[in-house]
Amino acid sequence: MAHRRSRHISVTEPSRTTMTRTTAIAEQLHYECCVLLELYKKKESFTTDVLVADGRLVTVPPPSSQLDTTDKLWRLHSALLQCSSLLEIAIIKEEEELGGGKTGDYESQRKTVKERLSFLLVSMGELRKAVDGSVSLTPTLEGLKLDGPTALFELKLWIYRIFEELDYWTKMVISTLQGLSSVLAKERARTTRMRSTRNARR
Amino acid sequence: MPHLSVSTNPQSKYCPVWLICVILSLSVVHTHASDVLRVPQQVTLSTNFKEQQLSISWLGGAATTFDIIILRTELNITVFYGTVSVPLDQVSGLQRWNWTSAEPLECTSLSVKVRSRDGQETSEWSNTQNLQGSDLPSNEQSQIYPMNRVVPVGANTTFCCIVKEGQEFGYIKYGNAVVNTTRLSRRSYATTVVNQGPSHQSGANVVCFDSLTTLIVGAVVFVGYPPLLRDFVCETHDLTSAVCRWNVRDPKLYGRRRTKYTLNMRNCLDEYEHVPQKKCIVQQWEGNWTLLAVNPLGQYRLTDSAELSHRVYPVAPTKLRVDAHAWNATVHWQWKYSSYFTLGLVCQVELTCHGIIKNFTVSGVGLQSALLSKLQPNEDYGVRVRCGAQQNFWKWGNWSQPLYFKTKTFVPDPPDLWMWINEDNTGQVVWKVPLNRQSHGQIIGYEVTVWSREENVQHTHTFPPDAAAAAIDFTQIVTSSNDTKVTATVIAKNNEGSSQPASMVFRLTETHTVAVSRTVYENSGFRLSWQSDANTTSDYVVEWHDSACSRNCPVEWIKVLTGITNVTVDSPNFQPGVRYTFSLYSFSSEGRQLLQRWQGFVQELVPSSSVLLSASQQDTDVVLTWSSIPQVNHRGFLLGFNVYNSSGSELKLIANLTDKEIRSYTVKGLSEGTHKFTVKAYTSAGEDSGATASITLEPYIDWLIFELLTSLGVTALFFIIVTFFCYKKRKWVKRAFYPDIPEPKLPGDWSRTQGPLDVKPSSHSIIQIVEKSDQDSSKEMLVVIPEEDEDEEEHGMGDEPVDTDEPASLRYYNQVIDERPIRPRYPDSSTSSASSLDSGRTDVTYTGIQTSGSSLVFQLHPAGSSEDQQPPIDVIDSCSGGGGYRPQCNNAHVASHELFNEPQAYASGGYKPQSSWHLDSPTEAGEVGGLAPSLGSPTSVASTQFLLPDGERHEEEKQASSSASTWFTNLLSSSKP
Repeated sequence: MAHRRSRHISVTEPSRTTMTRTTAIAEQLHYECCVLLELYKKKESFTTDVLVADGRLVTVPPPSSQLDTTDKLWRLHSALLQCSSLLEIAIIKEEEELGGGKTGDYESQRKTVKERLSFLLVSMGELRKAVDGSVSLTPTLEGLKLDGPTALFELKLWIYRIFEELDYWTKMVISTLQGLSSVLAKERARTTRMRSTRNARR
Repeated sequence: MPHLSVSTNPQSKYCPVWLICVILSLSVVHTHASDVLRVPQQVTLSTNFKEQQLSISWLGGAATTFDIIILRTELNITVFYGTVSVPLDQVSGLQRWNWTSAEPLECTSLSVKVRSRDGQETSEWSNTQNLQGSDLPSNEQSQIYPMNRVVPVGANTTFCCIVKEGQEFGYIKYGNAVVNTTRLSRRSYATTVVNQGPSHQSGANVVCFDSLTTLIVGAVVFVGYPPLLRDFVCETHDLTSAVCRWNVRDPKLYGRRRTKYTLNMRNCLDEYEHVPQKKCIVQQWEGNWTLLAVNPLGQYRLTDSAELSHRVYPVAPTKLRVDAHAWNATVHWQWKYSSYFTLGLVCQVELTCHGIIKNFTVSGVGLQSALLSKLQPNEDYGVRVRCGAQQNFWKWGNWSQPLYFKTKTFVPDPPDLWMWINEDNTGQVVWKVPLNRQSHGQIIGYEVTVWSREENVQHTHTFPPDAAAAAIDFTQIVTSSNDTKVTATVIAKNNEGSSQPASMVFRLTETHTVAVSRTVYENSGFRLSWQSDANTTSDYVVEWHDSACSRNCPVEWIKVLTGITNVTVDSPNFQPGVRYTFSLYSFSSEGRQLLQRWQGFVQELVPSSSVLLSASQQDTDVVLTWSSIPQVNHRGFLLGFNVYNSSGSELKLIANLTDKEIRSYTVKGLSEGTHKFTVKAYTSAGEDSGATASITLEPYIDWLIFELLTSLGVTALFFIIVTFFCYKKRKWVKRAFYPDIPEPKLPGDWSRTQGPLDVKPSSHSIIQIVEKSDQDSSKEMLVVIPEEDEDEEEHGMGDEPVDTDEPASLRYYNQVIDERPIRPRYPDSSTSSASSLDSGRTDVTYTGIQTSGSSLVFQLHPAGSSEDQQPPIDVIDSCSGGGGYRPQCNNAHVASHELFNEPQAYASGGYKPQSSWHLDSPTEAGEVGGLAPSLGSPTSVASTQFLLPDGERHEEEKQASSSASTWFTNLLSSSKP
């Protein structure tokens, strides 16, 4: 990623709009993820003693203060993409093992989250394109374990962890984009001041 | 064994053979015995983990009974010990016995030993065979068994949890409930869930936790039902393939454990596992079908068989199309399958108009259209079609999608016409605005024509489409003819043309007087019936309107065909509390004729207004009169009036007047005072609020006069009787009440001259009673006046000796008693006498006590009023010593003294009318002595004050009695000859 860090970042007005829209979608998805988690816990009668953290399913480079905006966005995009893949597999395996076709609250919410995640991915791609100029380096799914456990109880926990993972990365998107927005606002203000000073000298 | 003895006889050559046989037989027997109780060999174990079944096989020789013991290896706990009969498997030569474990076989290691048994004899135990569990130290990971198990509802399932090496077990939860556990081995713990209920779609979780409540491992168990099917039937839509349908009970098993169906060994795709209605399509009609449903808990099989022609279930017709006309329409449709063109079909056409459904049934081969007749022009209809096989009808196919169409317009029907004529020969031609089914299109106007033969001029006017009446004036026509027939004609017009004219003939001299009867509103309306007139061949019309209306009334009517003699009238315009008049007319070309009339209410209400009530006094009675209530306010048939006395807090019914024409009522027997009356009119619904009138009864003058005269008459009669009685018995009365007093012997006519008559009465006759009447104030009276008073002598003379034994001389006057108020008559005695006041009755003058009486007013001798002066004690003695009537006793001083100083003595003195007065104060008592000299003067004092001593009412009564006796005395004296 070293070669990406050296790139010049220019934040245009459309990118700010995209960032705002992406943040809004992420916030909506975050809310829907919370609802989905609650519905799933209720459906599976999961209590707090059952639900223990067991590491991350999504593998992305660790966060670092050295990462520039492009890399941060790439990292988030990659994580969300993995979440999407995991979610699709989770839905397939859940319906295959435990049955589908039912149209209850949980199934509806799961469908909503899946669709919202698709929107978020599209929006993230647009944001990256707006910021970076291109999205040639599409995040890969290499190293992602897409085959869930065979034991049904383990499968249930795995599905829950996928929902949690999605919730986590949605929050990360929100916080990262909000941070970027404030940084970009400061940069814009500094640039404006510099231009004013320069014009005054002339 | 003697037979084993050796012998040398010829037979002895057989002995060795016999012996060998015996030995051999014994050897066989011994060999057999040792073979039966042989220790089982080659004990082997095989497992069916899913069924938790352990199969034990061994070589047990010829034995058929074995003891088997199964222990948990690690804790050496016996889980089974029993004797079983196991037949020899002829093929393998092994004994085999199956044992089903309550716990999964993986839970812990098991040890198995077998021994042969023959009755009480047993062989040695076989070598122990171990079945290794999953809790071996070599398998360090935590585990749970069984995993992903499917069990039927109501089953009992044992789960075991093997904790990780070095981990301490905590508890097991089934669902959200912590369940009891049993330790199976060092690392293995088990729990049994009994009578399991159906699980939800994703199963029930069984989770193990360590002592730190950290999740160890979990499993899922699915609890459901084996398949159960019903209503399996195969049909054909396209006359080629078969569509088989059935219903299922929800097995509560989904996903990988869902029920799978095969129809004639072909898999059926079940896309909607939650839907209880299933179907499977077979491309060719096979005639016989077998449906097999299988899930992890079992299977279910159903069969069906039928010929294709008996199971035709037509599809719904498609592409409906309608050719609509004014009065009929033809509906066309198409079939999805060409095979229907040769199929005999029966079809149902459902026609809907304003929510009313009509069904038509048509039939034919390959039916694709149907004629719909008896439709209404300009009307909206909906139509849909379904069909079934005409031969071997199985069931109706599905309904087609409905198609909505509208019939074409047509000329209107003739309007329904009627006539309203006012009493002044004006009126209006009225007609009913045609309904859509009568107008057959948008009405654009009406044409009204009125024509009379006498006038022979047609008056035609056009009216807009919203008009429903045309005012007419027959005044001019009536003046020209007495019996004029008028013909009214109305034509309705729409875009298709004009209707047939609706005509009506009527006479301007119609009679409107006919008897009116009542009718009652029932559930469906007013039921009106009449006698059939055999001569009448015309139709009838029943007309009704608000009875309160008399001119150009909004009238409604219905036509009744000839022969019908009753009709039920109902209208959305009917209002409760409104009186309606129903009129039955027959009409013909000669006009209409009023036959009968009714009046009735949809619902009777209480009158909306009250009467105007007034009350007047008539002698001692009260006459209530009231006005009638306007008929529009009756709101029901008046039944009468209730009259209440409302003087109190509650209404008190005093009369129920059932004659509704009555307008007055007389209330009798009332006492004087104020009375309030309320009159309420009532209908069957109840009373109105009522009108109240108040009246104050004055005394009846005639009666007063009568009462007064009567009382006066009675009083006069009484006095006459008493007088008469006394006169007749005067001697007796005189003897009893007033014995003779010796007359003074004086020369001359003393009674005629006014001058003092000095007498010398006895000491006990110093008081004379004078009776005086108000009405006869000039009556001459004889007054006895003491010439000298003892006290006067005592106190007035001062030092002169007192002689109480000497009778005082009395001076009699035949003077006229002055009736004026107290006044002095003589200078000397003016202070010691007083006149009797006019009381309207008889006055009594006590001359013997005038001194004290005068002392109340005048004071002639101040020195005599000294408190040091005391009354003489001996005077008291002269009149003391008992009560009783003692009119001659002059004890005035004694009495006054006693009243002032000795009230007890006075109280015990009895009746003493002449001495019952007393002085108002001791000072006044002292004055008595000072006034004594005046007693000798010819003074008469009349005073009522002495008759009413203060505070002594009974004394007053005694005085009255004394006055009466005095009166008698005077009466007797005056009456004496």
